[in-house]
Amino acid sequence: MQMREYRSIQVISLFKPLLLKLGIDYETLVIILRMKLTMDGRRVPTIFNDTRVKKEGNQFLKSLWIYALYGLLITPFLFLGNQLVFQMGISFGIIIFILSTTMIADFSSVLLDIRDKNILHTKPADSKTINAAKILHILIYMFFVSGSLLLLPILVSLFKKGILFTLLFLVDIGLTIALVIVITSLLYLVVLRFFDGERLKDIINYVQILLSVGTIIGYQVVARSFDIVNFDISYTFSWWHLLLPPLWYGSTFEMLINRNYSIGIVLGSILGILVPILAVLLYIRLMPAFERSLDKLMGVAKERKRKPHRIIAFLANLTCRSKEERVFFRFATLMMRQEREFKLKVYPVLAMGIVFPFIFILMELRERSLADIGTGSMFLFIYFLNFIIPTVVHMLRYSGSYKGGWIFKAAPIDHPQIVFSGTLKAFLTTMYAPVFLFLSVIFIGIFSISVIPDLLAVALGGVLFTAIVYMLMDRDSFPFTMSFQFAQDSGSFKMFLIGLLTLLFVAAHTFANRFEFGIYVYIALLLVASGITWHSVFRKRFVSQ
Amino acid sequence: MKTTENVLVLRDLTMDYGGKLVLNRVNLEVKRGQIIGYIGPNGAGKSTTVKIMLGLIQDYKGTVELFGQDISQGDISYKRRIGYVPEQAELYDNLTAMEFLVFTGELYGLERQYAEQKAEKLLKEFDLTSVMDARLSSFSKGMKQKVLITSSLLHNPDLLFLDEPLSGLDANSMMIIREMLAQLAEQGKTIFYSSHIMDVVEKISNRIVLLVRGEVVADGTFEELQELSQEGTLSGIFNQLTGFTDHGERASRFISIMQDGDADA
Repeated sequence: MQMREYRSIQVISLFKPLLLKLGIDYETLVIILRMKLTMDGRRVPTIFNDTRVKKEGNQFLKSLWIYALYGLLITPFLFLGNQLVFQMGISFGIIIFILSTTMIADFSSVLLDIRDKNILHTKPADSKTINAAKILHILIYMFFVSGSLLLLPILVSLFKKGILFTLLFLVDIGLTIALVIVITSLLYLVVLRFFDGERLKDIINYVQILLSVGTIIGYQVVARSFDIVNFDISYTFSWWHLLLPPLWYGSTFEMLINRNYSIGIVLGSILGILVPILAVLLYIRLMPAFERSLDKLMGVAKERKRKPHRIIAFLANLTCRSKEERVFFRFATLMMRQEREFKLKVYPVLAMGIVFPFIFILMELRERSLADIGTGSMFLFIYFLNFIIPTVVHMLRYSGSYKGGWIFKAAPIDHPQIVFSGTLKAFLTTMYAPVFLFLSVIFIGIFSISVIPDLLAVALGGVLFTAIVYMLMDRDSFPFTMSFQFAQDSGSFKMFLIGLLTLLFVAAHTFANRFEFGIYVYIALLLVASGITWHSVFRKRFVSQ
Repeated sequence: MKTTENVLVLRDLTMDYGGKLVLNRVNLEVKRGQIIGYIGPNGAGKSTTVKIMLGLIQDYKGTVELFGQDISQGDISYKRRIGYVPEQAELYDNLTAMEFLVFTGELYGLERQYAEQKAEKLLKEFDLTSVMDARLSSFSKGMKQKVLITSSLLHNPDLLFLDEPLSGLDANSMMIIREMLAQLAEQGKTIFYSSHIMDVVEKISNRIVLLVRGEVVADGTFEELQELSQEGTLSGIFNQLTGFTDHGERASRFISIMQDGDADA
């Protein structure tokens, strides 16, 4: 038996008399917690999403290092300026963001575990004990996460800011944790009240995506924004600041350390204490309703109106030549839109494609004005979107429901290459094109309409590049037929290298722009090259097996 | 061993789910040693009945008594005498088979070491010894089902609720379960067996309850139901009492639509 004794349970045993007094069956509580903690150690936290993870060891404990790194990001805010409401407000903004997204991404499964209902509630364990185990389980986890996140900031504040500051920091963190846990649960309660379980799973999926995007991009943004944020601005209270929880906690510091007793600061501090306490009381009251609404997760989703996929059908007819190709176009579009695991892996990459051009422009803003940038060739940063094409195309082979891939083997598919051409066209029209159009609109705003031919050249370059990527990648499997477990192991680095080919397009584009009307010649060349490449690549020569 | 003691009593059990009447005044008295075959079409309310008796659903009307105890009174001690195999093989996949069994055994109050020894012996009977320390996520459907059945029996319960317990099991394992259920009933254990597989229900049950749209439409031994409907098999009785007699016509229509589609293509 590998289930071991946990130190956190030993700590909980100190509270045994209190738990017994509350009418909790302590023995059962420990049995449930031990099992839950064993399972935690075997899960892969979302924060590890983007890295290669070996399956050995306690993945949860390993993920704590990453939180400690985030702690590094918070520490400088303790020293920037003397407006505690502002600087601590920002610190608590980051803390609440990280804790709440982690809570939703990794601990939604605890709050919403329907197996608990079938396995635990059918056993001689009363609901009070099961719910206490649930809350303690989450608290243990949040203690570790916030501990590793805040160890460094707390140590630094102890040595540099004194004992009162540190104590206040600890109390505020405790209140924040309570607020995050309770608000998340109440949010789920509301969602479950009005929607079905499938919708809730979608919402959780989007939060997981947000966390992944946040961890990838947040670092870039925060690291670069230190010197553009002006911390010397003086804080003036507005009524809407009372709606921002991070500023409540900022206010407590402003009030107790800076002895600022203005009405806004005092009100903010009171809310910071009162709201978590009220939320906890409300939560205890609503817990039975929450348990009941979990039934929705067990049931079949409500019938939804069958949406007519007219746009998909239109795009399929527009881009695909054969009926068979259109079938795979539609299939790929639905998979990209509906498969949660695929979205979790691919959307953060897409988000990088959207955000990075702006990060570069933002950096440039420190030196030049926006109008000045608008006359230059910084629109070329939009090529970053083309840089991620190989990674996304590579990901198209994977799926969370890869086991459904037998259908490709069983179905009489005459030309297997059609499967990929349909899928890639679906990617270009339903995923690449909308993102590109979005960026284009903003770029036209910055660089004026004269940039349109350049944008067209970038888009055509993307179309050509997609076919080239397919040509260079391994074509040993159909789309959506491999497990994501292997996605990190194979090809990621290769796809990064292929992505560097984008630089060739950038060079050609820059070269074309040196001549009058050169861009139009380049566009014509790209059109011809794309036509020839797509035609030749998807002939039977490159057949998937 | 059999006595006339009531193990399970349902009085006017009614359940309304979002305005739809799922159970309508269900009355049932189950005696010690009986094997109840609880059958009915999809959506008849079978699983709901079982979930109510297990305390998974609370907002029902009527009375449910298990071992003479009204389960709505909040005392859950009756659960120690119950074993349950759910319809879906829901397990904590990240645990090994042994970890899961010891965990459930402990929840029923067994000592950890005792639960471990007992689980090992029971798994051996299902030929699962070699994989007992493997995670359940790697188990096939049938293997998971065997683990679930083992977990429901580990604490030697007096009343067993089985919801499609044979799904995914091979013929040999099915025979073991069927034989075991018969022997357990002989010893005075009560079995509440909910299933769609008519021939199994016909063979193992000594009383059959047919539920249609939340109402009990037939309750008796197989022989009594045969007499009532003049049908030779439980499938026939089921079809007649649920008013489903046009299966032949439906099959023909299905084939004809299927072949029409072919002609169009």
